[in-house]
Amino acid sequence: MLTLTKDRALALALLLLVAVMWVESGSIRPPTSWQPYGSALFPRILLATIGVLALLLLMRSLLVAATPSAPLLALSRRWIRARMSILALFALFALYAALLPIVGYIVATAGFLLCSLALLLGVDTRRKWAINLGISTLLVALLYVVFRFGLNVWLP
Amino acid sequence: MTHFFLQALAEVGSPSVLGLIIVGVLFGIIGGSIPGFTVTMAILVVFPFTFAMDPVSGVSLMIGVFVGGYSGGIVSGVMLGIPGTPSSITTVYDGYPMAQRGEPGRALGIGIVASFLGTLISVAVLVFFGPLIAGFSMNFRPWEITALIVFALTLVAGLSNGALLKGLLAAAIGLLITTVGYDRNSNLRFDFGLPALSSGFEILPVMIGVFAFSQLLGNIEKLRDEKGGKPPVNTDVAIPYRRILKDMGAQKLNTLRSSLIGSLIGALPGTGGTVANFVSYDQARKFSREPETFGKGTPSGIVASEASNSAVAGGAFVPTLALGIPGDLPMAIMMGVLILHGITPGPLMFEQNPVLVGAIYVSLMVGAVVMVLCNLMLMRWFAKIALIPQQVLVPVVLMLCAIGAYALNNNLFDIWVLFIFGVVGYLLWKAEMPLTPLILGVVLGDNLERQLFRALELDANWLTFLTRPLSALFLALAVASILFSLYQDRKVRARAANTA
Repeated sequence: MLTLTKDRALALALLLLVAVMWVESGSIRPPTSWQPYGSALFPRILLATIGVLALLLLMRSLLVAATPSAPLLALSRRWIRARMSILALFALFALYAALLPIVGYIVATAGFLLCSLALLLGVDTRRKWAINLGISTLLVALLYVVFRFGLNVWLP
Repeated sequence: MTHFFLQALAEVGSPSVLGLIIVGVLFGIIGGSIPGFTVTMAILVVFPFTFAMDPVSGVSLMIGVFVGGYSGGIVSGVMLGIPGTPSSITTVYDGYPMAQRGEPGRALGIGIVASFLGTLISVAVLVFFGPLIAGFSMNFRPWEITALIVFALTLVAGLSNGALLKGLLAAAIGLLITTVGYDRNSNLRFDFGLPALSSGFEILPVMIGVFAFSQLLGNIEKLRDEKGGKPPVNTDVAIPYRRILKDMGAQKLNTLRSSLIGSLIGALPGTGGTVANFVSYDQARKFSREPETFGKGTPSGIVASEASNSAVAGGAFVPTLALGIPGDLPMAIMMGVLILHGITPGPLMFEQNPVLVGAIYVSLMVGAVVMVLCNLMLMRWFAKIALIPQQVLVPVVLMLCAIGAYALNNNLFDIWVLFIFGVVGYLLWKAEMPLTPLILGVVLGDNLERQLFRALELDANWLTFLTRPLSALFLALAVASILFSLYQDRKVRARAANTA
């Protein structure tokens, strides 16, 4: 069975992207007499370029013998397990973006900072909690003042 | 010109702009001092604060960060033995051994003065060559501009650490990102039925997402891999001023050569401080009468490294201002600042915004003076700040990026754009895809499409790109840069195969 290396995965993902975008480019308004080149030409040139380069990458990666690895599912599980804190940080950021318009800048930002600092710094000592709380509250207040009063930017 | 220069001097000399330069330099030095933070990240974090400013204030603040950032790497390089930025790697080779043998003040002092002189010499290069190149490029028509952008992108892609194919892919993906939303003919492209995509992606959230997420989360991964704390640091440093004056007196030629190398490399697309750093260090060793002292704490090594990486600041402005083509990542962001303020960098900028061009020259010089003063007065504080753990830094910078993206248009969608491109950037980074060509593609995409179709509207024959001498020259250079990268790639692989 074919081993999925980084380059092979990248090339396949890019070929999929090219296919999806090429189909979508069909819905762009076609060329007219006053717009002879049409709006789809430039993206299609780029998609063709990406497609050719991705194929070259795939071919090159197939020429190099890959060391057989564990099945894809086990590999993905291992990859995820090794990056739990990073994936958790992504999830926290998505949650922050989702909550920002609902609960507002102060609560959402303070919550994001508290949780992400706790995630990365740890919560095993009082000192770490003090650092976490100090940074979170100070930064939220400071940025609010700078943006709202210094730069006249309304935060949600 | 003198009239505009004096007007620029008056604007930059106002207390508010001076204050901004000081803040920028301080932040830049801090950003440059913290290992893994880099000048680019410092510039990205400060960028949103310029939205509400006038162009001179905004650009001056950014230049302050730029100048401070390139010099900041010396603190962690000398005190911790860890380069604060990739452009100060060779500073560690001699700065750290000198500090280890009990002369940290001397190492820092030499580095700071060399940084200062490097910046000043690079400003002279910018003042001389900027208008010359801009004047020459005034003759460029759409064919030449298109070919020049293609050349810049292939050059950057080709210099992507031996990953030509991935570099070219990254550049093409960057260009593709700019095709989302309404185009030059008001036709909608790739909106996938989502109204939010109709106006396309703003450059800033895309740039921050792709660059900041990959770098910050990469730092977290490195922390996990490298177990063990930072070395204990003695921040009680005294600067031996007389000794440094004597040292620098003996380094006049080295300083000039290294600064010119830095300015020249800064002006080439895709190179920047890291390349300047190594080339200049190598040249200094070749020209030295005592090459065996390099790597053991010689002042020549520190001067070569710091003068060249600081000189990149002025040199990098040459193609950005004169041609509208940023040479590296910090310059791509700087170009974003100018575009945000309604100024299109390029040859016309020298005619249409001479005061702003003058303000850039003056800000670079003032920034260099402020950098020396701040470094000399606050060095021990910077050394302490350099110890801020990444675990604290990463959440804070991510939050600042989110607020910065929002503040651009008071639009929450931009935070989602930041997040999505953050995920994309992180995955591409994990796939060992170079991200600089992608970001340059995002910055240059609109202009490339506009110029390409302007050329085709003027003359429908595609062969005109090859019949116009300059356009043909740029395209030939693009092909040559790809062939040269292929040759380099093959050489590296053959060497690796031989050693295996």
